[in-house]
Amino acid sequence: MIEDLFFLEKQAYRDSFLHRLDTRVKILVSFAVIIAIVAVPYSPVVYIAAGILFLFFLALWAISRISPVVYLKRLLAIVPVWGLIILFQIFIKNRYFTEYHVIALLPLGVSIYAESIQFACILGVKFLVSISFIILLSVTTKTQDLLQGASRLGLPAEFALALAMMIRYLFVFGYIYRKVNEALATRCFHPLDWRLPYRYRIRQLGYAIGTLFLRSYEQGERVYTSMCCRGYGKHSHLVFDKRPLSAGEWAFLSVSLSITLGAVIIAFLMA
Amino acid sequence: MHIPDSFMPLTQGLVYWAIALVFIGLSLRWARKDMSEDRIPIVAVLAAGIFALQSFNLPVSMGTSGHLVGGALAAIVLGSPFAAVFILTLVLIVQGVIFGDGGITTMGANIINMGVIGGFVGFYSFKGLMRATGNMNIACFSAAWLACFIPALAAAVEMFLAGTFPLREGLIAMGVYHALIGIIEGFVTVVAIRLIMTARPDIMKLAVPAGQGVGA
Repeated sequence: MIEDLFFLEKQAYRDSFLHRLDTRVKILVSFAVIIAIVAVPYSPVVYIAAGILFLFFLALWAISRISPVVYLKRLLAIVPVWGLIILFQIFIKNRYFTEYHVIALLPLGVSIYAESIQFACILGVKFLVSISFIILLSVTTKTQDLLQGASRLGLPAEFALALAMMIRYLFVFGYIYRKVNEALATRCFHPLDWRLPYRYRIRQLGYAIGTLFLRSYEQGERVYTSMCCRGYGKHSHLVFDKRPLSAGEWAFLSVSLSITLGAVIIAFLMA
Repeated sequence: MHIPDSFMPLTQGLVYWAIALVFIGLSLRWARKDMSEDRIPIVAVLAAGIFALQSFNLPVSMGTSGHLVGGALAAIVLGSPFAAVFILTLVLIVQGVIFGDGGITTMGANIINMGVIGGFVGFYSFKGLMRATGNMNIACFSAAWLACFIPALAAAVEMFLAGTFPLREGLIAMGVYHALIGIIEGFVTVVAIRLIMTARPDIMKLAVPAGQGVGA
């Protein structure tokens, strides 16, 4: 995940209408879509709402001028974990259906139900829409801009300060993680190398984890001291200016929220 | 253990958010009172470190995902369960908003599981075990194991209430996975705390009375 941070930040430094759009608008639109798709009940009406919202996502992705490969890469990084969990739904009965029809009997008394497959699809579709908008938000917004946008939306100052430091340290952590890994690799050390004594591997792994933490802390402490020297401090969040949204940004926000609300209303009307 | 969006109805997500906000408010009070200028780096590095620890995920068939939690580590190092709530909230915001790991509507539930339950179980079991055994390693290991295992069971119960997974199978799957992952969590917590105490004792504010910590 640390490596993904560098990848996401690289995409966020590109230029497009979406990249330049105020972060508050992007956060509000993404969260509105997620809340809307989650609010739709676990029933086939979700396909209509999800279809409209996914088309909206595709349009926004096209505007962002980022390669679809980036989306697929991010999706591949996230979906295997959750995809597998969603897949397990096909073996489970849940409270959302009253009748279940077995379509396949497997060994050890495991069955696959038609209704469970339908539920897994509903869950998968909802998840895909939610995660797509999170991917869009993260590839079009720099982490520091996200923080600034969240602060302007009312994120408490203590969280904003700690998040700002955490995001800086994540990159520090990432670089030191790479260095520690390289140092271990050049010494041909691998924690799963069964030829090495068990106690030795545990000790080395313990040292590596501890060193990673301490080196990151000391590097972070130096970074923070130098930031303090330049006037940064516990109350630096106060310098965020209260920039009003432009007419174009208001228009984009209104249209996006209308599409989101419209998708849910159409889904219910067509059900 | 991260519950993603769509795995829980919106109404339930809002209830968990409301409960989580109470604890987030209390953790903010801790931050205003105890997070002095010189403690900001350790809070941020712990958040970054816990983020890194949690990034190694395994899917759990009848639950969500299996990974280390870090709630006990944060609470023990900073000497307050509210520190764990504060730090885990930061971690979950970054994971949810940037990486799509854990949802937005389910973030309240995730904060309750990992921050509140993980932090409080980790902190108070550490304190209790330090008093009972006087052994730092045993107290840290057990506290970290419990702070990994119990939130996993809480997540399984929430998923059952959400109607997405059956209770018994969910508890077994999440419990077994996290009972094993908890051993790694215990080991990492002991090593991290030992190293901090040896190399940089100044950054450690132990949650036990003087004489029962380092000297144990």
